[in-house]
Amino acid sequence: MTRVVVKRLLVGVLVMWGAASLIFVIVRAAPGDPATLLLGPDAAPDQIRELTAKLGLDRPLPVQYVSYLGDVVRLRFGDSYLFNRPAMAEVFERMPATAELMLASTAIAVIAGLTLGLIAGGRPGKVVDRVVSAGTIALQSFPTFWSGIMLILIFALALRLLPSAGSGTPAHLVLPAITLALPFTATVARLTRTSVAETMREQYINTARSKGLTERQVLLGHALRNSLIPVVTIIGLHMGGLMGGAVVVENVFAWPGVGTLVVDAVANRDYTVVQAATFLVAGIVMIFNLAADLVYSQLDPRIRLESAA
Amino acid sequence: MTRSRLLGLVLATALALTGCGATSGGSDSGKSEITVAGTYPIQNLDPASPAGGGNTGTNLVAQEIFSRLVRPKQDGSVEGDLATDWKSNSTATEWTFNLRSGTKFSHGSALTANDVAASFKRLLDLQSTNAKNFSGYTMTAPSDTQVVLKAPKPDASIPHKLVIFYVVPAKVTGEDPDFFKSPVGSGPFKLQKFDPSGTVDLVPNPNYYGGAPKLDKVTFKTMPELAARMTALRTGEADLIWGIPDDQLPQLQSESNLSVETVQSTAVFTMWFNSGEPALRDAKVRRALWQAVDFPTIIKQLYPQTGTLADSPISPVTLGYVKQEPVKYDPAAAKAALTAAGFDFSKKLRLQFANAEFRPFNQAVVSDLQKIGVQVDPLEKEQAVFTKDLLAMNWDVNFQQLSNPTYDAANTLGRLYTCEAKRNGYCNPSLDKLLAAAVATPDEAERTRLYGEAGKIIWDDAVGMFPMAVKYAYAFNKRLTGFTPDPNGLPDFAKVQVSGS
Repeated sequence: MTRVVVKRLLVGVLVMWGAASLIFVIVRAAPGDPATLLLGPDAAPDQIRELTAKLGLDRPLPVQYVSYLGDVVRLRFGDSYLFNRPAMAEVFERMPATAELMLASTAIAVIAGLTLGLIAGGRPGKVVDRVVSAGTIALQSFPTFWSGIMLILIFALALRLLPSAGSGTPAHLVLPAITLALPFTATVARLTRTSVAETMREQYINTARSKGLTERQVLLGHALRNSLIPVVTIIGLHMGGLMGGAVVVENVFAWPGVGTLVVDAVANRDYTVVQAATFLVAGIVMIFNLAADLVYSQLDPRIRLESAA
Repeated sequence: MTRSRLLGLVLATALALTGCGATSGGSDSGKSEITVAGTYPIQNLDPASPAGGGNTGTNLVAQEIFSRLVRPKQDGSVEGDLATDWKSNSTATEWTFNLRSGTKFSHGSALTANDVAASFKRLLDLQSTNAKNFSGYTMTAPSDTQVVLKAPKPDASIPHKLVIFYVVPAKVTGEDPDFFKSPVGSGPFKLQKFDPSGTVDLVPNPNYYGGAPKLDKVTFKTMPELAARMTALRTGEADLIWGIPDDQLPQLQSESNLSVETVQSTAVFTMWFNSGEPALRDAKVRRALWQAVDFPTIIKQLYPQTGTLADSPISPVTLGYVKQEPVKYDPAAAKAALTAAGFDFSKKLRLQFANAEFRPFNQAVVSDLQKIGVQVDPLEKEQAVFTKDLLAMNWDVNFQQLSNPTYDAANTLGRLYTCEAKRNGYCNPSLDKLLAAAVATPDEAERTRLYGEAGKIIWDDAVGMFPMAVKYAYAFNKRLTGFTPDPNGLPDFAKVQVSGS
């Protein structure tokens, strides 16, 4: 196990180098430059040249790249052009809010998705299965920004139950977390439904039933554990998608996380913040994927990590 | 656990979660505290830095924390802030500002002319976008209550230019991020909390020369999403919002606890033609294109409350505004003029703009031009791409909502339409002479006359189409009294009160 984890971590270093290099190229390939954006279209060419030099962007790209990689190794990404302070510090400050949002939405998605999936998968072909299947398709179809606005209009404006946007109290977390969780809930529910429906056709399920166990005991005691394997995998893989969704959700709800930070940074070509945030998010996704593999092997002893590695 | 107990637990948790949050802040707090929900991010509190200088969010907060020599009034004129009076020499190259005595920073130390001069030097040293207005200028402090600003050439627009110059203690030099985490100023408010992720809390400055504001606290929250902003206002989570599209205004106007007011802004919809392009070099062609668009109808349809047909390249609240002869919609005459001028109807014009908010307006313009056979490709671009292409003249028609933070035509006509500016391919030495004369004339009436003549050339030569003068709509809770909508989207809260508190 340790050997596999170390091996995975070494592969992870390569992945992180790839992610860091890719984002370095992408932000510089995007048209527009930070100095002109910061100073505005009326800036004199010498002002733009001077600021470009101050930001270190007048150096040849290979020189910038080598210097950047050296900084990445030391987890230094330079100062944000907009915030005038270390970019990684800015990202770290916003990360707890995003983590809170992602954890809450993951919890909602897993609990709701598993419940719906078990209900539907336990009664394949029945009305409840059809309702859940149709509902999850609908949930996956709604654009996140639209669901967010609808939730604001219903729960904040019409019912006055929850705040419309911002942060600071647990109540502020509810709507953004639900919005972010909706498409993920549908994914978990559909996957669980399929997995449970398949498991329920296995011989050992018939054996359990023949022992006189109730349908609920069969479902929760025997089918659930095996059905969890693909769900755990999808949770690990879905972290990247959740991060993408968080960008939209944070903007709709003015949630002070990494998503809003990255949107502003991209719009203003704040390279340092984009690089720092992408690097950190890539690391988190990688760790979640590794964790998912480890849990996967614990849930199903037949699966050996060596083969997965 | 039984099903009913489980349900009870879920409901109790939901109530616990929602109980305090739904109406936190805003009008239900009962104190003299208000929450302002704006669209602009406030990432930096240093208005002299390259990042903060041109940033509206930074300026919104900076004007509350820091004083200026002068500040703008709603009608576009300037009034003294730290300065009690000012005068120039006969050539407008030397300006003397007398400062009010006894002014203090929020931490209690005296503000002197030395702080003003040092702040000016810092502004120039940091080379922000605002510093370009003062290239080669120097400021000295002959006494504790007087500063003298010397310009390298005659500049009668100096008082207006100085509305974006803020005073910090003299000890602050260069970029000083630590100082601006908890800045000290002499404005009506002082900083209580700054979270660059979207919240700024201000509390009254007891040492403010005009007396501490009556509000206990002003909280600025960044809310980019319009639906969230409007909902926050309607539920009382926010007390003031602005930047509201016309189609949403009736909804807010129907709310009994809200006031909606519009104010003439400094902004004008400006659609430059690239006069450097062979197809658009002829003023007759440009004017015919303008004539082909039914702007009165477009404005009536899209901006019934916040738009009026423009009658000048600059706003009525700008020094130098003079009304011009309207361009009448006449598509038949437009087509005839284009044909007579040999316009190539097979050429597709590139119309660039930068914000989805302006998409319907630009699409309507494209549609009208198509009716007379002019093909236009509307290109909606991301801001960074738009700016790059704008400067590279990579467009045929360029749409911008041009506002003017200084309220002076020198900042728009004088800056954007000279041959040297190279902003729209138009070059007219006669116009250059007029603009140079206008900025060098200390007499305001004469300056206005000269800018009027310059505006007429720009208007008649159709350097661009100038379709709409923009009003800004503000919606606020009726419990706010003393609030004045600002023509530049930078409302001041020094005189705002909460009724009943």
